[in-house]
Amino acid sequence: MELTVNSVARTVQSPPLTSLLTVLREELDITSPKAGCESGGCGACTVLVDGQPRRSCLTALCAVDGSEVVTVEGLGSPEDLSRVQQAFIHHYAAQCGFCSDGMVVAATAYINAGGSDDTGAIREALAGHFCRCTGYVKILEAVAAAARGDELDTDSTASSANNTYVTISAGGQP
Amino acid sequence: MKVVGARLPRYDGVGHVTGRTTYVDDVRLPGMLHAAALRSPHHHARITHLDTSAAEAMAGVHAVITHADVPLLVYGHLSGAGIPGDEPLLAKDHARYRGQPIALVAADTVDIARAACAAIDVGYEELPALFDVRLAFDDDAPVINDTFGNWYDQYEGNLDVRQIRKGDIEAAFDAADLIVSGVYRTQSQEQVPLETQVCVAVPEPDGRLTIHTCTQAMYFSLGVVCSHLQLPMSQVKMEGGTVGGGFGGKVDTASDTLTALAAQKTERPVKWRWTRSEEMLASGNRGPWHMEIIDAVSSDGWILGRKMLTIHDAGAYGRFSVYGVTKHSFHHTGAYTIPNLHFDGYVVFTNRIPTTAMRGYGITGLSTAIEVHAERVARELGMDPYEFRLKNANRVNDTSPNRIPYEDPSTVEVMQSLASATGSEMSGDLRAMTRDQRSGDMLPDHLVAQIGSGGH
Repeated sequence: MELTVNSVARTVQSPPLTSLLTVLREELDITSPKAGCESGGCGACTVLVDGQPRRSCLTALCAVDGSEVVTVEGLGSPEDLSRVQQAFIHHYAAQCGFCSDGMVVAATAYINAGGSDDTGAIREALAGHFCRCTGYVKILEAVAAAARGDELDTDSTASSANNTYVTISAGGQP
Repeated sequence: MKVVGARLPRYDGVGHVTGRTTYVDDVRLPGMLHAAALRSPHHHARITHLDTSAAEAMAGVHAVITHADVPLLVYGHLSGAGIPGDEPLLAKDHARYRGQPIALVAADTVDIARAACAAIDVGYEELPALFDVRLAFDDDAPVINDTFGNWYDQYEGNLDVRQIRKGDIEAAFDAADLIVSGVYRTQSQEQVPLETQVCVAVPEPDGRLTIHTCTQAMYFSLGVVCSHLQLPMSQVKMEGGTVGGGFGGKVDTASDTLTALAAQKTERPVKWRWTRSEEMLASGNRGPWHMEIIDAVSSDGWILGRKMLTIHDAGAYGRFSVYGVTKHSFHHTGAYTIPNLHFDGYVVFTNRIPTTAMRGYGITGLSTAIEVHAERVARELGMDPYEFRLKNANRVNDTSPNRIPYEDPSTVEVMQSLASATGSEMSGDLRAMTRDQRSGDMLPDHLVAQIGSGGH
């Protein structure tokens, strides 16, 4: 079968019912989609199929024959980061990083579709993407910043608006 | 001072957002085999026979590992601290929890390895299982752990309970105006890292092993692997530090040792990645805790004494539970100073998954119990819960249950911040309180003797 993966035409040999996740990871050695649950529950394997976010673990190869597939490697490189990638760095939205590939892909699809910085809309777009480290706050801030088109500096990290009210001073009064 | 106070980016941030970070599952090696485990389908069973010949004869199968292949089968996570080992790396005569590994197959593909596991002939004789810690002490309870019995019995050599005795508990209860008791039970919890347990082990040409590990504790895991394999540490190189989430669930060296054995036996690189189902079924989780608290309280809101009984559900084997209960005992007064204490803590074995660390090992469930109990005491007294907490709050040089003076207790500031953050009423007297060493109204007679020194 034929796929275009990150702008490169690929002929793949895996059997037609092989999951796209397995094709990408095991046949093409593209390892950014992660096998978090392999049952569509966690979102870590999300890739773009013809521009739409898809759980690659639940997508059979035969269902995407002839499609254009984009993984996070295809969205930007360390030398040429996409806006969403810059925002994830600046807002400290990637912690252990295992969910980040899927998160960045889903957030990119959301912004490409004209998504705004509205927190409720971002939550809906990222629903089903699990992160066990961040508590999601910084991910929401990063996606909102990318949606707004904030100027982003990847050499420093933003302070979180949500951290201010729990600051404790040693003297007694917060 | 270019770093302190600066808002620096993560050193690994670019890799994380561009798909360039290499996690263990992303390690690719020529000739790599894939492993799968045969696990006990029973909570408690005697293993009557184990025949791997059909699995070994299957095309594409390179090795089947059982208990007979492990140089040191039984090793304890706290053996280095003098606590005897009780857990076999692979079940031999008994399976003591559902999901306990019995054999590991290394094969050309995961599918072949799983099919070979299904072809292993195992005989089980099911035994009665125990899940409720309260029943573990009954005379007719099934015996779970053949090293310790139904509860750990070797504290300080020969005690079967972790004890704290401080002050004069009987005098405190005699002096009490009010006695408030409560029973609190917290449930088990899986850490659910998005990356499941995974290992790639590689036999090197010079006879050494390289282990790509997801452990949270590299040198600890090195010791566990080398102990089971009876190898000097110079023969094993751990390659790790990039972990797809752990939260305590990756300190148990769940996959490294068996994968290393498979690599040794096959002389090929071997990968063992657990499925999400295996992670939920069989990886160590936060254990359930059963906590009974009885407080002796004065009518003006001082906690004069506390009696506490804790029964920790360790699951089938000890792992770190003795450490967990000891830490729990040191913290059983929480953020508050109580001068007279009588604490008994048991590590009890059941047919659950062996339990382990998770975010505040031994403390998190305890804090729930202590804070709910504090709220109940304040209500029984008809006292503002903030006033009750702030009076009893730890201050500089108050001493912990194990008699360590607190140098930097933050209870007072945390309570004041909580009131601000939640918009709660707090009087000016309470707002003006500090963590400073007790004096005046905050130093009633019954708290004088417990004051230590060493803080500031």
